[in-house]
Amino acid sequence: MSKSVLQLPVIERAEAARQVVRLTLQAPEWARAARAGHFINLLVPGRRDLLWRRPFSVHRADRSRGTIDLLVARMGRGSESLAECAPGDHLDAIGLLGNCFPFDPGLHEIIMVAGGIGIAPFDLLLQDVQGFSCKKSLFYGARSAGDLCRSTLWAESGAEVHLTTEDGSTGSRGLVQDELRRYLGSSANHAGRVIYGCGPTPMLAALREMALALGIKGYVTVENRMACGFGACVGCAVELAEARRDGQKYLLACKDGPVFPIEEILFHD
Amino acid sequence: MTDLRVHIGSLVLDNPVLTASGTFGYGSEFADFFDLDRLGGIVTKTVTLEPRPGNPPPRICETPAGMLNSIGLPNVGVEQFKLEKWPFLSSLHTAVIVNVAGRSSQEFADVVAALEAVKGIAAYELNYSCPNVKEGGLSFSSDARVAAEVTARVRAVTRRPLITKLTPNVTSIGEIGRACADAGADALSAINTLVGMAVDIRTRKPRLSTVTGGLSGPAIRPVALARVYELVRRVSIPVIGIGGIATAEDALEFIIAGAAAVQIGTAGFVHPDAALRVVEGLEDFCRREGLANLAQLRGSLQL
Repeated sequence: MSKSVLQLPVIERAEAARQVVRLTLQAPEWARAARAGHFINLLVPGRRDLLWRRPFSVHRADRSRGTIDLLVARMGRGSESLAECAPGDHLDAIGLLGNCFPFDPGLHEIIMVAGGIGIAPFDLLLQDVQGFSCKKSLFYGARSAGDLCRSTLWAESGAEVHLTTEDGSTGSRGLVQDELRRYLGSSANHAGRVIYGCGPTPMLAALREMALALGIKGYVTVENRMACGFGACVGCAVELAEARRDGQKYLLACKDGPVFPIEEILFHD
Repeated sequence: MTDLRVHIGSLVLDNPVLTASGTFGYGSEFADFFDLDRLGGIVTKTVTLEPRPGNPPPRICETPAGMLNSIGLPNVGVEQFKLEKWPFLSSLHTAVIVNVAGRSSQEFADVVAALEAVKGIAAYELNYSCPNVKEGGLSFSSDARVAAEVTARVRAVTRRPLITKLTPNVTSIGEIGRACADAGADALSAINTLVGMAVDIRTRKPRLSTVTGGLSGPAIRPVALARVYELVRRVSIPVIGIGGIATAEDALEFIIAGAAAVQIGTAGFVHPDAALRVVEGLEDFCRREGLANLAQLRGSLQL
């Protein structure tokens, strides 16, 4: 699908969790085409002092209604302003951008691992795999119970959900990667499993280590700073674990990703 | 219809709007968004003799009405450029200006020599002034004698129009521009980015892996305009204005100050069709003002 710039009407706005707003945007073409991993790049309305657009994963797509959902976490000036959008506003968006999580119907279990706002692409992934019989396990960690963006799709898709919070207010106390480590440690056979990760860098680094140690295939989506989102600024470099023969040492999060095979790239704080 | 054509040496552009090197990839990145042939021309990302991986992340940082970058000229090298990038560029009707850089004046000449057999290149732009390359691209344009030597070395290997791109990070851009004009440049383009820096106060780390980088965007436009005005008064060859230009109004400021053409850079990251909007805005302005051609506007600054 070719990339375009669209003015998207905001249809709904809801508080998804403490400091996280869910925006529903009218975008029929993108709703049809979006797969988990795809993102759009939004201009921050009324903030000409903020030069760049802000990238957001497509969180959910309602293909019959022609809408997409985004999760906007209040992280800084740009996301603060975007979180204040109201139904009736229009957002200037570039999309669809990036690649998506690969899915092999022959898999036995897909293991989604989300840290904080890293939950964003996994609703769409659950939508995408709903018709397949593989086991769906979601490991989702946040600081506290109020920070979790809960979803009706978890039950609808039959996913087994493992929640963790750092303060123990819901689910296991601790970090999501530790919960995953316990889960993986309980079985010796990892054939047919795949890990999909999205979240903070230390979490991704831990996933990488686990996946490599246990021989589990894995993919992660990264959220680097980017000035454009479509391969022109070359600012969102991701370091390759091994330089290519032609000397290439970096890939671009926006164009080569944001989804990468977990063994292919390195994570730095 | 106003005649927007401009002459850069022997090159005739349909209109004065070009894209700035390092902000427009090799054209194809923008092909989904608009018809590239509506532009006066495209200036490619820098091509070097050997492939370069670029700098480690973080490479960019947003600043008030601007951004810092330290990309480090990643590119596939001139031979792969010909194989991978040129086929798309050569399919365009708009002028394609290939931006080149080297570690020495000899290397500049070698890259250009390697491109001479490629049919359809409209001109070369010499990137003396990228502040983010370790070997010191900066040094080529911070010393008038060295700057002139590079231009002269390249001049000796090509008859194609030659544009020397200048850095603002010098005491006298006018003196350096003059030396390059005397050494055979057909035009000057200015400015490249201004050296800048930002710090994350939480981690106390610099926001860029290379500590300092190049500032671009609307924040630098008045600085760029002053430098372009300085150059226009010092040289008789065309000057191409670059720096924070995002709209036709911005471009008009440069043209009124004496610029022959302009380049759109950072604005295209945010609005991919920014350069096209500048073309359309210039057409509208000229129609409204009843101008027959751009020469009526160029250098018309009222003092």
